Amino acid sequence: MFFKMLKAERMKLKRSPIWIAFVLMPIVPAFLGTVNYLGNIEILQSEWYSLWTQHTLFTCYFFLPIMIGIYCSYIMHEEENNRNWNKVLTMPQGRNMIFISKLIMAGSMILLSELWIGALFVISGKIVGLTSPVPWDKILIWCGFGTLGGLVMASIQLLISLFIKNFALPIAIALGGGLSGLMFLAKGFGHIWPYSLMAYGMNSNAPQKIYESGYLPFLVICVIYIILCSAFASLIIKKRDI
Amino acid sequence: MIRLLKCEYLKTRHCFIFPTAFAITAICLCWCLYGDVDDEIIKYGWRMFLYQFPLVNAIFLPLLSMVIASRLCNLEHKGKMQKLLCCMEKRGKLFDAKLLYGLGIITVCVVLMWAVTVIFGVVNRFLGPFPIKLYLLYFIFTLIPTVVIYIFQHTLSMLFKNQAIAFFTGIIGEFIGIFSMFLPSLPFLRRMVLWGYYGVLQFVGLFGWTKESRYENAYFDLMPIDWTFFCVLICAGILLYLIGRYLFCKKEV
Repeated sequence: MFFKMLKAERMKLKRSPIWIAFVLMPIVPAFLGTVNYLGNIEILQSEWYSLWTQHTLFTCYFFLPIMIGIYCSYIMHEEENNRNWNKVLTMPQGRNMIFISKLIMAGSMILLSELWIGALFVISGKIVGLTSPVPWDKILIWCGFGTLGGLVMASIQLLISLFIKNFALPIAIALGGGLSGLMFLAKGFGHIWPYSLMAYGMNSNAPQKIYESGYLPFLVICVIYIILCSAFASLIIKKRDI
Repeated sequence: MIRLLKCEYLKTRHCFIFPTAFAITAICLCWCLYGDVDDEIIKYGWRMFLYQFPLVNAIFLPLLSMVIASRLCNLEHKGKMQKLLCCMEKRGKLFDAKLLYGLGIITVCVVLMWAVTVIFGVVNRFLGPFPIKLYLLYFIFTLIPTVVIYIFQHTLSMLFKNQAIAFFTGIIGEFIGIFSMFLPSLPFLRRMVLWGYYGVLQFVGLFGWTKESRYENAYFDLMPIDWTFFCVLICAGILLYLIGRYLFCKKEV
């Protein structure tokens, strides 16, 4: 039944143009970040690491949070239209699975975006002519942890969109969240604040930082946030009157 | 038109549009003004703000435009009201009324930001007299790009029921605009997109910065104003308005 729900979620998004944005958006920082890297090559001497910061700095703080906000708002808004909540909540399956299936859809889009960001990063590095070998393992870790941090953000945004019925307000909150993420990261709380976790996981401002604290605390915090949000949202959906 | 504007006001009551706009403005102001006011800021404050704020404006004001335009237009899409409204009033007038109402909100926010900035400078006793001429120019160069971006967002939000299209277009444009401000070596980039005009119309620059001495000998100075592209921006705004209005009038509702 759960797979059928996932399939239904996928069908709801079929022919929707929003995936185009997730394809187009990473091209902008990849191109402009590379140009910026070439312009400041004398200061940015850590090769792949420097290029990675140029590619991901603004993406993590401003644009991916907003993109995730739009995506989550869109997924929830689908149910607000045409009183779809009535149909969804009367389906013969556990209500707690509704939120999880939506979260998995958002997560898959974040994962694809991360992989695309990683691919563009490698292509840019090759075009620029970086001589050191491609740090494949680190790219995979950055993208994987970025996805995990993004999932935390998506679960919170989905929860917000569950409460706030209009489309635009959760997106404004996502921007506020992204900015607060930057602030918390600067104050040293990047590893616990939900809106900082993606930037922290992607190591967008200090590629070596996460290795000092290890992977486990990061993983645990992300999982706790996701479980808390899913449990709370499931409870709300369960109690919701159709 | 007054009647239509009043209708817009009544429709948006209890929709938290004004609180949303003010919340975004407040976040922007906190972002700009939070922190310790040291001697450096007191010495160069007036010009430093004129140098730094266009970048912050390029982040927040397009987003403010997106959110407000979407909220106002989505009211009609959500309630399936366009068909009804278009039977009662000329489509062009509906387009104009909504645009004017949204622009009013945006203008109030820009004025608020400007006023708080000035008050902040006066309260903290920035050195030198308040450069009113420069700050009026800054106000115009903040307001006009925001108005043009709002017209663009308004058109998208009115034309497409799916508000994600307007948001994604705006976000990608904003992204290019912000990045273009970090690439002064590519001036055509910021001139190509509406969102880059906060940078095109920036008239205070940081000089004397070198990789070795960094900020030690750095100072803020005036740069020539690009009036040609200011005119291009105004023309683009008028053109966008005419195209948007035409498309909305021809659209099947």
